[in-house]
Amino acid sequence: MNIHWLYRRIWSGSYRSIRTKLLFCFLIVTLIPLLSLGAVSYYQSARIINSQFGKYGENAVAQLEQQTSSSLSRMKQLSETIYSYLLDPARTDLGNRAPVSYNEIIEKNDFEALLKSLRTDKTAGIYIITPSGYYYGENNLDVTKLGSIPAWKEKPSSYQGIYWLGFYMQNHAMTSAGDPNLPVLGLAVPIHNSNGAQDGSTILIEENAQELLHMFRLFEKDTKAHLTIKAADGRIVYQSASAFTPKDSDMIWDRTLAVSQWTLEARLPAKAFYLSSGIIRSNTIVVAVISCLLAFGLAYIFSSRFTDRIRSLKDSMQKVSFGKLDTRMPIEGRDELGSLDMSFNRMVSGVQTLVQEVEQSERLKKEAELKAFHYQINPHLLFNTLNSIQWKARLEGAEDIRQMLYHLTMVLEGNLDISQELITLGRELRMIEHFLKIQEIRYGDVFRYELHCEEALKRYLIPRMTLQPLFENIFFHGFTDGIGLIELGVREEKEELLLTLKDNGAGISAEKLERLFIPGPKRRGRGGLGVQNADQKFKLHFGPEFGLTVHSTKGEGTTIIIRWPKREERSDGYSKED
Amino acid sequence: MKKRISLIVLATTMMVSVLSACGGKDGSTGTASQESGGTNQKTLRFATWDTGDALKIEQDIAKKFESDHPGTKVQVEAYADGFDQKLAAGFGAANPPDVMYMWDFPTYHQSLEPLDSFADKDKDLNIDDFYKGLFNYGKIDGKLYGIPAGFTTRVVYYNKKLFDAAGIPYPKDGWTWSEFQEISQKLTDKSKKQYGFGARAENDTYDLQGFVWSNGSSFISPDGKTIEGYMNSKETAESIQMFGDMVKNGSAVLTGGKGQQSGDDIFKAGKIAMWESGIWPLESFKQAGIDVGTVEIPAFTGKPVKGVLAESALSIAKDSKQKDLAWEFVKYYVSNESIKMRVADLPVRQSVVNELKKDQDPLYKPYYTMLERSDNTPAFLLNPKWNEVNRQLSAAVEAVMHGGNAQEVLNQAVKDSERYLK
Repeated sequence: MNIHWLYRRIWSGSYRSIRTKLLFCFLIVTLIPLLSLGAVSYYQSARIINSQFGKYGENAVAQLEQQTSSSLSRMKQLSETIYSYLLDPARTDLGNRAPVSYNEIIEKNDFEALLKSLRTDKTAGIYIITPSGYYYGENNLDVTKLGSIPAWKEKPSSYQGIYWLGFYMQNHAMTSAGDPNLPVLGLAVPIHNSNGAQDGSTILIEENAQELLHMFRLFEKDTKAHLTIKAADGRIVYQSASAFTPKDSDMIWDRTLAVSQWTLEARLPAKAFYLSSGIIRSNTIVVAVISCLLAFGLAYIFSSRFTDRIRSLKDSMQKVSFGKLDTRMPIEGRDELGSLDMSFNRMVSGVQTLVQEVEQSERLKKEAELKAFHYQINPHLLFNTLNSIQWKARLEGAEDIRQMLYHLTMVLEGNLDISQELITLGRELRMIEHFLKIQEIRYGDVFRYELHCEEALKRYLIPRMTLQPLFENIFFHGFTDGIGLIELGVREEKEELLLTLKDNGAGISAEKLERLFIPGPKRRGRGGLGVQNADQKFKLHFGPEFGLTVHSTKGEGTTIIIRWPKREERSDGYSKED
Repeated sequence: MKKRISLIVLATTMMVSVLSACGGKDGSTGTASQESGGTNQKTLRFATWDTGDALKIEQDIAKKFESDHPGTKVQVEAYADGFDQKLAAGFGAANPPDVMYMWDFPTYHQSLEPLDSFADKDKDLNIDDFYKGLFNYGKIDGKLYGIPAGFTTRVVYYNKKLFDAAGIPYPKDGWTWSEFQEISQKLTDKSKKQYGFGARAENDTYDLQGFVWSNGSSFISPDGKTIEGYMNSKETAESIQMFGDMVKNGSAVLTGGKGQQSGDDIFKAGKIAMWESGIWPLESFKQAGIDVGTVEIPAFTGKPVKGVLAESALSIAKDSKQKDLAWEFVKYYVSNESIKMRVADLPVRQSVVNELKKDQDPLYKPYYTMLERSDNTPAFLLNPKWNEVNRQLSAAVEAVMHGGNAQEVLNQAVKDSERYLK
């Protein structure tokens, strides 16, 4: 359900926008290397630190072990020296009671001199305590206070071998003088020598443990570890002062002291052990998050800059689609989007001119249609009237008039049928025949008309009403009273037709000839209008390379040559023959 | 634009890795080494056996010397109980302290610098101001090895309160040992664990010489060659037997032995009426609130009282690299200024004593009268092997304190010691 919803969210409109895609793209491109680098650097440095710290702890514990060991071995060695001295049969005068005789005192003094010479800087006490309560050693021991040593009483009376008393405060001095709270490390060695006087005595050796304990404390402070030293019998010899609950996850460094069989164990809670790597991790995460935000922000800014331009382009397009063709994009930058803006602007202005042109042509077309409609109404009235006149003329017996009206009707019919713009050459020529018939009735049989046109060429198309105005020009401008010769030749030249209309009329003056094709409202008179119209028609229908050329010499006549491509009537009835 | 983005990515990732690298360093920083001392600074080593208040005074003197001599540092080395051991080790390694406290000249004089030339040349020392007898102790074969720094003679301390309580008049100079024993007997009240006198279980035989001399004998012949007839003479035995007898008859208690409190402590506790010692515990008696009086050592009837002098001197090591500076320090140490600072010793200069009127103070007067009586030469100055002999003598004395017969054990001790003198 949730996934489906998420899917829909992601693919819904807002998540599909280019901005979102860009954002995702940037984030992925940024975050993958960023996060992987961050992760790699974290893991590597964390591993190095953890292993270094682990080694450091191990070394530190090893150092503690070594220091403790050296103290213990020194004490053990001391006890062995004393033990062997006491086992010497020559020392029989060393009794287990207070010496009173001269010889006993000499022995005692010798022995105590030895004990004194065995002392080192660190020695805190060397005593041999006899069962009677008398002891050898410095005169500062109060035997009754030995019970204050925690392990002294616990020591089994028949203990064999050396017995480590561990750490305790040396407060068994005779007086309160001196340091009553000197921490010492103690060793008790019961003497077993059934024949000797010292059987049952105990050698007590104490060494100043200040330095050792200081080292322990330094170690604890340094590593935050909890230190425990246990004797072989499970007795706790030393324990860090701080409260501590051991856990399975604790980091453990442990060592066993060969001398005393003590186990030295430093426990560090996993949390503390991984503290420094945790700091690196949180740093890395913080930096990664900051970088992510940075990347996100940058991606957001960049993509919004990018998509804003696209959006404004889109908005502009929308405006254009609503018809606001004067919309233009501001050009920002010369990048691809800039050129897109530019093309858009060009396109819109193109469309705008196009639309204007289409509007113009539509308007013209409407006007033409209206005109045509107007014309279409008139011919019917005209033809009906002409037919009536024609009928009246026949009734009156005016054959001439009837003939003229007939030909006029034919000419007008060709003239007024605007349904086709291109008609066959034959039809145009037939209309010319009718026109000429009218002229013949008008002027009499005074002009000659020669037509040279092969029958095969008559099926090619020619714009409607192109020849008739030219003929009219001949009659109205060329000939006087209709006298003259008109030659019309049509021949084919490859894919083109060549029509030559020649008369021997008045001709056109060079000056007039020059102005013949210049369009303009200032033209006067009718002359030349037909020529220009005809030329326009050819050019419109067939292209600008076609059209008329006029050669004329004043007083000798005019030759008009028309060139246009061969085109046949198409079967779809673009232009029909009657 | 794309280039810019990738640059930013690169920069941020580098930042991450740099940061994590920085974090990595945290664990390994630590131990900073400390280099001490400038090159110009001279360090003078001064070894002392004192501890506690006396040591503190000596350190103050050293500091004053430092302020008077810029660029000099005096390193006070308190050897305490290990003094002989450490000093011997220093001499053995040719790396002894420059200046040291010294009393045992016969043992160490070969490692010490003779000071005659320094003393003769230097008028500032004002050698005539010293008590004359003090120089005898620092001389071996006519050469001076130590400048007296402090001394004490031995007197009898008495607890005025206990005397008053028993209605006994305070002892006066010129009293005798029989009076002493009588008073001691009277002041003993075993029900209160109170004793007239405290006898040391383990005596320093050096301190006993005053008694022996007072009885007209000595441990060794004046030429230092014979002990037979001296160490075991009737007079010697008598003077030692006296204390053994007092312990035996209960008018004296043994102190300082195994399981026994020191005499100083018992006196401070008000449980012994009389105590024989040097000046050292006087301050602590006063502090303990004991109304203490001092009196000369008693005399053997018809014989002059003799005293023994415990002297500490300052010596300069032969191996010292800066003897002139060492001499300056020695001179300063025995100047009026520093003598006045040192209250644990008796002043060695007459001018200081006169100035402070010490010899007129009844509490201090006996020390000076005893000084006048200290003109015998101690045994250790007469024979270089004395330390060997002393072992037997000490044991004999200790045996007497434990009930032995003085004449017998002294005879034994002489017999055992003869071989050291041949």
